[in-house]
Amino acid sequence: MIELLAIGEPDAAAEPPVRAVPSDGVTVLCAEAPEGERTADDLWRREALVERLLETGPLLPVRLGTFVADEDAAAAAVAGRGAELRERLEHVRGAVELSVRIQPAGEPGDLRARATLLAAAEAAHEALAAIARDSVERPGPELLRAAHLVERDAMDRFVGRVRELQHAHPDLAILCTGPWPAYSFAEAR
Amino acid sequence: MSSTSLANPERDIALVDLLDRLLGGGVVIAGDITLSVADVDLVHVSLRALVSSVEKALPKHE
Repeated sequence: MIELLAIGEPDAAAEPPVRAVPSDGVTVLCAEAPEGERTADDLWRREALVERLLETGPLLPVRLGTFVADEDAAAAAVAGRGAELRERLEHVRGAVELSVRIQPAGEPGDLRARATLLAAAEAAHEALAAIARDSVERPGPELLRAAHLVERDAMDRFVGRVRELQHAHPDLAILCTGPWPAYSFAEAR
Repeated sequence: MSSTSLANPERDIALVDLLDRLLGGGVVIAGDITLSVADVDLVHVSLRALVSSVEKALPKHE
């Protein structure tokens, strides 16, 4: 069994343990499937493989745990989807994903207090989205959980804006991590 | 982001974001989807992130 890691451009190259399988005008990047249960460390190692591939060109990460029998099956899995996948590769080219989660900084207040915080969180989200090429809200327990597709050149500006917003809103905790491969922008919406 | 560049609290915070992306993001491709993740207590990790502050978690990019 092999696990699909990411979809790259037609000329995407890979170093062992990653294998590059060309198909339908894209490259399926895959590796030998792990045996048994995976730990958090295993997931970080998998992530490191994907991020190394990201250094060479645009990349669409594949949902965790997508296994196929062999390289022929890997090629068949994307056959017919080349045009759609190349369009998504263009969408994420030169950009990375930054995660932003916004939570109340203090004790939970009453409903009116929460509504005020939610409005502030949404305003902060809009300010960050203005810097991003694309943004998407994700489900989560926070006031607001979002992913932003940010051009590499704009990353410093984005992080600077996060710091400014955090400074301006001590009642919010703004949690920003990244850069990540464009997991949240890999599928057309 | 690389886990090796992160101290432990930051790594736990980022693990929430990693899992969110691995499980809810990425291209969905026909295949034999198998999820087998051990020793990752999602609830515990989420609660930890909720009490963390922004200064611990700002990205360490190059």
